[in-house]
Amino acid sequence: MNIIELQSITKTYDTNGLTVPAVRGVDLVVEKGEFSALAGPSGSGKTTLLNLIGGLDNPSGGTVSVGGENITGYSPRQLSDLRLRKIGFIFQAYNLIPVLSAIENVEYILLLQGMEKTERRRRSAAMLAEVGLEGLTDRRPHQLSGGQQQRVAVARAIVSEPDIVLADEPTANLDQKTGAALLDLMHELNRTKGITFLFSTHDGMVMERAERLISLRDGVVEHDRVKRRAKPRSAKRKR
Amino acid sequence: MQTIFAMGWRNIWRHRRRSLVVISSIALGIFAMILSMGIMNGMNNQAIENTIRTALGHIAIHRKGFHEDMKIAHNFKSTDRIMRSIAADRRIAAAAPRVKLPGMVRSSETSQGVLIVGIDPEKEMKISNLYQYTSKENGSRFLASPDENAALISQQTADRLKLVVGDKLVLMLQDRNNEIVGVGMTVAGTFQTPVESFDKLVVFTGIGKLQEITGLGENISEISIAITDPAAITDIKRRLIGAIGDDSLEVLTWMDMAPYLVSAVKFFDTIMYITFVIIFLVVVFSVANTLVMAIMERFHEIGVMKSIGTRPSWIATMIVFEAVNLGLVGLVAGVAAGTLSVAALSIGGINLGLFMESLRAWGTGSVIFPVIKGMDIVVAALIVLATTVLAAVYPAVKAARIKPLEALHFV
Repeated sequence: MNIIELQSITKTYDTNGLTVPAVRGVDLVVEKGEFSALAGPSGSGKTTLLNLIGGLDNPSGGTVSVGGENITGYSPRQLSDLRLRKIGFIFQAYNLIPVLSAIENVEYILLLQGMEKTERRRRSAAMLAEVGLEGLTDRRPHQLSGGQQQRVAVARAIVSEPDIVLADEPTANLDQKTGAALLDLMHELNRTKGITFLFSTHDGMVMERAERLISLRDGVVEHDRVKRRAKPRSAKRKR
Repeated sequence: MQTIFAMGWRNIWRHRRRSLVVISSIALGIFAMILSMGIMNGMNNQAIENTIRTALGHIAIHRKGFHEDMKIAHNFKSTDRIMRSIAADRRIAAAAPRVKLPGMVRSSETSQGVLIVGIDPEKEMKISNLYQYTSKENGSRFLASPDENAALISQQTADRLKLVVGDKLVLMLQDRNNEIVGVGMTVAGTFQTPVESFDKLVVFTGIGKLQEITGLGENISEISIAITDPAAITDIKRRLIGAIGDDSLEVLTWMDMAPYLVSAVKFFDTIMYITFVIIFLVVVFSVANTLVMAIMERFHEIGVMKSIGTRPSWIATMIVFEAVNLGLVGLVAGVAAGTLSVAALSIGGINLGLFMESLRAWGTGSVIFPVIKGMDIVVAALIVLATTVLAAVYPAVKAARIKPLEALHFV
């Protein structure tokens, strides 16, 4: 099943009267359950592409479909709802809400989805335990290390079991050991829960572990290579 | 929503000092509002009460036209029906007859125009504070009987006419035949009320004596009534009109007799509310400025919230909630400080002796006892709530319109 479909996507920015093309006619299909990475040097268009898929930006041309929905031309409100229902985000700088504890940060997504309090608390606690943060649930972000904060961010991204998790340079602020552990965790979640992961990265470790590597240069896909496809351990998601 | 509220609350305390400055400014505004309201209420209440307890009474029964023109023909004879109507209402504490006639008082030195008021001393003690205002020193005393050939004059009149207790004075006035009559009397005592205009104008003597001098017989100018429940004044008036059933008479409340006092109270209230609006306009800008600063600081964070699916309306709600929280904390602090101060000051009153003359002109007395009403607190709460919500509108709209991508790139 195609979870992401990009057709002839272009994106240009107007800067000081100059039109700068960031993405130039990209066609891309990502299937459900992939663990893929968009790679390339700075300015190659990988973050722009991730933003277009995540509904954070609108394409200048072409169509974007996410989870079977053509989101091109969606209003800000519709895009907001789409992100809430179908997409989990992991950012380079963790981007947790500083006034909320670890469990509240995770719970926040479920709250926005309107889940009942007891159930969302139970699921958030279980998710934090799954990412190895049992016992740290009541800590605020500033009381956690970078790696722990990124684990909370991962828990927040997947707690609602979205169709896709978009991760923008998730290991860039972490040391190699912590970054590797985090990648292990995400790969494990990909295999056990069947969640699609799409990274934007120029971290060699992420590129190495990705099962599909889409290389971008100057806003076009230069290479698209499927290295291996791991079979999910269990198609049934844990609740 | 609970989490959104919790976020709003915690966001306030991220910059403790800045929030405390805003809260303090709101609290100070509320404190100033309650204290000045308390003092103004106290002044208004005392001016009204003093006017009622000297000149007017709560309610007065007159012949129609007397209130506009105190001529002798406008006096009337009290009837059993009137007295029964008064006695039948338990909310009426006391009633006393008065004769009021314009005239002149003369001493060997000079003379002045006055309102001569004949009273029944025993009954008068139950409806006014004249007895309390009468000096008991240097031989000064209250009138002993309705027929006593003596007068009570204010200290102000005594000074002006150069009279002391025991001196003789002459009251000159028209009798029922429109003849000018004069009668010599002894100064029995002097009084000083908190109402300057009253002291300047009024001389008291026994009602029986005045009726005898003028040939009024049993006729009187008014029956002055004191009631126990001021809130029921309009109802008591209505009931009395029905019970008396005499079209030649009119029943007037103090508000009918002293519309200037009602207008003055309204005027001062209006001035006070205008002042509050100005104070809270300053608060609006202070709160709005703080919220805009807070939003600019949290620009990236709000972008993250939006990028993970928070609706603009939730962001706006959170910002409004932050403002309302700032307002409510300030409100609680301000109300606590204001009401405690008013309570403390109401025990001994605020002595404004320095401004005694101007306060006497307004009829309040020199010691003001502040009073705060429940409605004042409600008004304060509503003003704060409206102010903070108003202050939050622009920052909330601004926050709700933040573009997530733009904010994510903002560090």
